[in-house]
Amino acid sequence: MAKPKVMKGTNQKKSEFIWGWFFILPTMLGLFVLNIIPIFQTLYQSFFKTGDFGKGNIFVGLDNYTKMFQDSDVWQALLNTGKYAIIEVPFSIAIGLIAAVLLNRKMRGRTVFRTIFFLPMVAAPAGVAMVWRWLYNTEFGLINQLLGKIGIEPVKWISNPNIAFASIAVVGIWSVIGYNMILFLAGLQEIPRDYYEAAEIDGASSVKQFFNITIPLLSPTLFFVCVTRIIAALQVFDLIFMMMDKTNEALPKTQTLSYLFYKYSFIQNNKGYGSAIVMLLLVVIMIITVIQMRVEKHVNY
Amino acid sequence: MRKKIALLLTFVFIVSGLTACGGGGSDESKDASAKTEDGSTSSGGTVTLAIWESIQEPGLREICDDFTAETGIKVDIQVTPWEQYWTMLEAGATGGALPDVFWMHTKEAERYMSSDLLLNLDEQIEASDKIDLSNYYQDIVNMYNHEESQYAVPKDIDTIALWYNKTYFDEAGLDYPDDTWTWADLKEAAEKLTTDDHYGFVTRIANNQENWYNLVYALGGNIISDDLTTSGYDNPNTIEAIQYFADFAIDGTSPDQTATSENTAAALFESGTAAMSLQGSWMLGSLIDNEYIQENAAVAIIPMTDDGTRVSIYNGLGYAAAANTEYPAEAWALIEYLGSEEAQLKQAELGVTLSAFKGTSDKWADSVEGFDLSPYLAVMDDTLEFYPHSKNTTVWEDMANEKLVKVWTGEFTAEEVCKEIAEEMNASLAEE
Repeated sequence: MAKPKVMKGTNQKKSEFIWGWFFILPTMLGLFVLNIIPIFQTLYQSFFKTGDFGKGNIFVGLDNYTKMFQDSDVWQALLNTGKYAIIEVPFSIAIGLIAAVLLNRKMRGRTVFRTIFFLPMVAAPAGVAMVWRWLYNTEFGLINQLLGKIGIEPVKWISNPNIAFASIAVVGIWSVIGYNMILFLAGLQEIPRDYYEAAEIDGASSVKQFFNITIPLLSPTLFFVCVTRIIAALQVFDLIFMMMDKTNEALPKTQTLSYLFYKYSFIQNNKGYGSAIVMLLLVVIMIITVIQMRVEKHVNY
Repeated sequence: MRKKIALLLTFVFIVSGLTACGGGGSDESKDASAKTEDGSTSSGGTVTLAIWESIQEPGLREICDDFTAETGIKVDIQVTPWEQYWTMLEAGATGGALPDVFWMHTKEAERYMSSDLLLNLDEQIEASDKIDLSNYYQDIVNMYNHEESQYAVPKDIDTIALWYNKTYFDEAGLDYPDDTWTWADLKEAAEKLTTDDHYGFVTRIANNQENWYNLVYALGGNIISDDLTTSGYDNPNTIEAIQYFADFAIDGTSPDQTATSENTAAALFESGTAAMSLQGSWMLGSLIDNEYIQENAAVAIIPMTDDGTRVSIYNGLGYAAAANTEYPAEAWALIEYLGSEEAQLKQAELGVTLSAFKGTSDKWADSVEGFDLSPYLAVMDDTLEFYPHSKNTTVWEDMANEKLVKVWTGEFTAEEVCKEIAEEMNASLAEE
């Protein structure tokens, strides 16, 4: 099984090149067919008044966009999307980070705890939504029942326009802590122990160590998690769709752009308008991501 | 050597992956079937039947087994819950892969017929001696008729009746509802039946067909004009009817808007949270399953107005076939059988639903032991008003329901909101 130790430079490079492409081909194909092409299709559709079942599309130019800019529902939805992201992202990152740091030490049952934190990720989002929907139910939900036992009035968790988005964000945070934790654990394990040892010798407390060693050295991972979490949070749809009925009073103050996209495209069969809304979401997410990348250059250690 | 093994393994995985995807359906565009388990459509004598009501499946299964015994054609019933049914069907329609036979509904029929997605059944009906369209309720037949051609055979009919909790009535010392009850009586009783433990009635926006649509028409108003081009929401009678139903939630004789948006009317009635609820005949299966209902509930005819006008909204599903089905003959055989007097009788007997074939539904009233369901039939002698619809019903119906939330919470009056609804509804009707 002797492998020739030296191959001609170009041959080896060529072979690696081909092998490389060969292995990523399935993913590239999927990405192209299922993601890239639909993006252009959506952009294309946003200039049409779409007919039923893909037939009879009428070109309307920028009509969908003008309608969208005048639609107060859309702007409220953009605000709602932002409100949701502002609650979900910082909390899920903070809790995930603390969990990761605590579970990075040698302790008994460490694997069990890590598994427990990660389990919500494994549960199907629809199932999670259904269970939380019943926990939050104003009349019959478990949370209000328990509050009732200690004498607190029922809270309209998902029907109060002022707090519904936060209730949904709590579910979002709960489901994603495990994922963040795993990423942070990977990042934490890259940090050499010497830094901590040196700090201990110098008499630094654990909190000081956390802020002065862990966070700076974790910043690449932190940045990655931040960017991806914001992108995902801005697209939230399934929790809202599954937990809130169409006649829910809090819906106008909670529905996100993705929800509106689904409503117009699939419930009302107005795919042109839905496509315009999703283009808006795309632009918003792109701008936010670009801003983050600019900031990263200054903040990354 | 290792590279060769890696290469071999990769090929094995790719090939098995492709076969798994490709073999799941007889052609690529079967995304509709992806929602259901086997993803296969007909293959030599099996016809797919798509439905959305899992409660009706056992009864339909029996009827289809009779069909299979008679003709040898197997039937594969695929249940997709209502919320996803139309998305599934649309995906199939756009991709060219609809189920062979499927339920069609008033809200969507026009769209499917005008897009040439349904099989034209004129010839088959002419030639058939089991199907004669005059045997069915005409509004239902007409619903599935487009430009003089028939595209679906009526399956069933549904009406509305009043379910009430006998125990609560006894506790309050009230007489049970009967056919002399007016809507004013209902309101009075609801007030007397509202205690610290339970409410008197359930009023729920999303249950328009069971609730306020009935009163709208009984008072002489309408939801949409007969020619389906103008909204009836600005009609004063319509507004009065809507305010009547909203008042229950506002003055506390019904669970409030929060409770009814988070829970279904059936759930609130079944849990004893409300003493009365208007329910459609299609809910029988799921209501009667509940022990509490079996012991405590009964059915009365829907109330009438003070001048004796009694209206129930009614609707009827149809069996349609895909225009591009690979098995048109078998699909028609199934539709013909399901629409025949024999199957319609059995459907009623088994308590599946009231059947669209006139005169076959009497058995349905006795399909549940100890329960008198005759009010659902009795109301057919009064006025039946067909379900208000247009080509894109969902657009304005959802819009109206969303706007009415503020009426149910008491923030606005029905008058203020209904004018807005009428305006927007007219705009979306103009676009159809």
